[in-house]
Amino acid sequence: MNQNEPVIRFCEVKKQYGTFPALKSVSLDIFRGELFGFLGPNGAGKTTLIRILTGIIQPSAGQIFIGPHDLFAQPDKAKAMIGYVPDRPYLYEKLTPLEYFDFMGGLYNVAQDRIISKGEEMLRMFDLWDRRNELIESYSHGMKQKVAMSAAILHDPEIFVVDEPTVGLDPKSVKLAKNFFKRLISEGKTVFLTTHTLTVAQDLCNRIAIIRQGDIVALGNMAELQRRASLPGNNLEEVFLKITEEELAHQPEIL
Amino acid sequence: MNSFRLISPALKKFKRVFSHRSRMVLSFLAAGSILIAFLIYYGLYRFLDYVGRAPMLGDTFGPVLGGLLVSKLLEMLLLTLFFMVLFSSIIAALSSFYLNEELPTLMSSPLPIGMIFRSRLLLMTIESSWMVAVFFMPALYAFATALKADLAAYIIFPFFLLFAILLPNLAGGFIALSLAAFFPIRQMKKVFQFLSILVLTGLIFFLRSLEAEKLLNPSYFKDISQYILSLQVPLIDYSPSSWLHQASMSLFRNETADAMRQIAPLALLALGGLAFLNLFAARFYRQSWQRSMEAVDNQVLGLEWLRRILLWPFRWTDPVFRVIASKEITNFVRDPAIFSQIFMMTAIVFVYGYNLSILPLKDIPSLYSGELNDTLVFLNGPFIGFIVASIGMRFVFPSISMEGRAFWAVKSSPISPRKILSTKLVLYLLPMMMLGIVLCMVTNSVFKVSNPILMYMSYFNVILITLVITSLAIGVGAVYADFSADSPLKIAGSYGGFIYMLLSGFYIINLLVIEIYPMYRMFFTRFYVARGSSGMLLVFVSLVLLLTSTAIWVYIPFRKGLDTIENYEPE
Repeated sequence: MNQNEPVIRFCEVKKQYGTFPALKSVSLDIFRGELFGFLGPNGAGKTTLIRILTGIIQPSAGQIFIGPHDLFAQPDKAKAMIGYVPDRPYLYEKLTPLEYFDFMGGLYNVAQDRIISKGEEMLRMFDLWDRRNELIESYSHGMKQKVAMSAAILHDPEIFVVDEPTVGLDPKSVKLAKNFFKRLISEGKTVFLTTHTLTVAQDLCNRIAIIRQGDIVALGNMAELQRRASLPGNNLEEVFLKITEEELAHQPEIL
Repeated sequence: MNSFRLISPALKKFKRVFSHRSRMVLSFLAAGSILIAFLIYYGLYRFLDYVGRAPMLGDTFGPVLGGLLVSKLLEMLLLTLFFMVLFSSIIAALSSFYLNEELPTLMSSPLPIGMIFRSRLLLMTIESSWMVAVFFMPALYAFATALKADLAAYIIFPFFLLFAILLPNLAGGFIALSLAAFFPIRQMKKVFQFLSILVLTGLIFFLRSLEAEKLLNPSYFKDISQYILSLQVPLIDYSPSSWLHQASMSLFRNETADAMRQIAPLALLALGGLAFLNLFAARFYRQSWQRSMEAVDNQVLGLEWLRRILLWPFRWTDPVFRVIASKEITNFVRDPAIFSQIFMMTAIVFVYGYNLSILPLKDIPSLYSGELNDTLVFLNGPFIGFIVASIGMRFVFPSISMEGRAFWAVKSSPISPRKILSTKLVLYLLPMMMLGIVLCMVTNSVFKVSNPILMYMSYFNVILITLVITSLAIGVGAVYADFSADSPLKIAGSYGGFIYMLLSGFYIINLLVIEIYPMYRMFFTRFYVARGSSGMLLVFVSLVLLLTSTAIWVYIPFRKGLDTIENYEPE
């Protein structure tokens, strides 16, 4: 695949819950090797978009292409290219992490040798090796997050989708996770992440999109966002607040 | 704010189960439930009416002894009800007092602890008793009709039953509160699931050991006085269930004043118990809840050898099938409550086998014994169906719900929902069918089936029934999936579990109705030489109809379950 060809393409994706438009019409291209950050206030539509991207929920309209595959016409091929880590790592609690890896690896048709070697490597990397024989039910939120992250990489996906990757992680694990994403990018993979931790986005992301009330209101690299907010030299937090407040000011008054 | 308001989130959740269903489906289910209730009521009434007259004991002794027999049966039923409510209430109490998701919010609020406790008590009483009450009510009204009760008795009786349900719930609540003060609650819940099922299993054996069938045959007893004495002795003296029994008998015999006097100890005990439990909870509930927060789930890594043996055959299967089977078996082996369920199921199977073994087939005149045997073999398939359905309700029906909140992992994977459901269907069909066939083999040998066609038909019936029952368990289990439920027992006891059993019963009726003509023809040819081909054509039509209807019964629940899973949006 060409470096300039989008590896994820959202085409006018909409999601309606009753009369509430969770996503209005999102069109977006993400390129190979990008570490793409998706930001927005609570309830803006970030998690909805990620869940549509991973095939967990269906959009009301629109198309998504993962590489050359239409996510809804060829879900098996498209989903096989994605590794997903949700914001709340609900896992099968009665399994040990290695058994969980075996389960997830089986769903993605990964060879057992690879499951074992990669799984063990990830457990060591995330300091979980000593607790590998315990059931997941006894793990803390952060430990479960690490298990979910490890499982997502087993099938060597082209695209890594992470919803709030640093929530519940201790500072050392946050650093580990950041380095892990950088390593993926250096291997030519693509990372699509959402976060409320703006420093993480500023440190890691090549490009950032800001979503508000189901619409993308800003898109670009850090310099472009600063220009868009007329705040050159400022950090992402101020740019984010400026852009989202501007959009709020443009909303028609209800009262 | 009051205790009733605090249970509104749970009631709204229950209401949502219905609001997603179409009016037609709800009407169909309501009509089906009423039909089943009526069948229980009417069938039992006819039986009790016959037993009450006891014509085999003569005109003089018949009605007297028959009345005692009916009374004895009511006592057994009420004792069963009491124990069922008591043990389900302990498990429900541990859940709603300590493990309910709303509790951290409620406990951190300024609401008085007594109010929070009463709301949990109410929730637990509804949860532990509604299904028991729904199932027992038609049966209890059948006793009222058989004993020729007035309208007033039908109106008053639900209040009697309310006390009878309240008391074991209060006892269950008290036991749960007391234990939680000393033991880690998460382990206690599992221990109690285990113990309660063991006790219920014991109760099954206890009631069976009473050999109620002997009561219908005085020749088992040395003399008539011993027989009457055996009928008059209560099963358990001075127990709430015996008070309810005495009061109910008086009420159904229209001796209302006596009934009120006899129910008074139960009512006073229930009201006193309620007051005491309130005081006890005001003192200890918050303390025991805090203790429960400190406990962690237990680590069950025993029985690894069993897990490995069970997983071994799957090493050579398709990877997706292997990992799904592996996860299901691992969850199965690591849930301590599951073994108590297996004991209970074994007890049911054992009691069924024992009942068949003591059937007095040898006492029947030889001219008719062939027909009776054939009829029993024919009916045996549906009976096995009910046993397999109840096992399916416990082990297969919850399998989709037990994916829990981790279901996102499967939904985001390249495996289609169809593959997931069909894998589960095949996985559970194998043991269910094996169990059905083994039961059929054993019971056929008890009946000494001589007609080969009938023998093949019994196996054929069991195969069709297990196929439909497993598909229903997977499909209805997906339609009524509760991904937030913490125990398979809770899922099996839910509204969806009731629908699953109802539909299983409908399929069995469907099978029996279609097979009536081929059975009739088989009996007919025993005495007469069949002539003409129209009869054979009808047998063929019956077979086609049976296979077609079975295919529909397999397909529709599976399809509905698949649609639900495809549209399901995990949290």
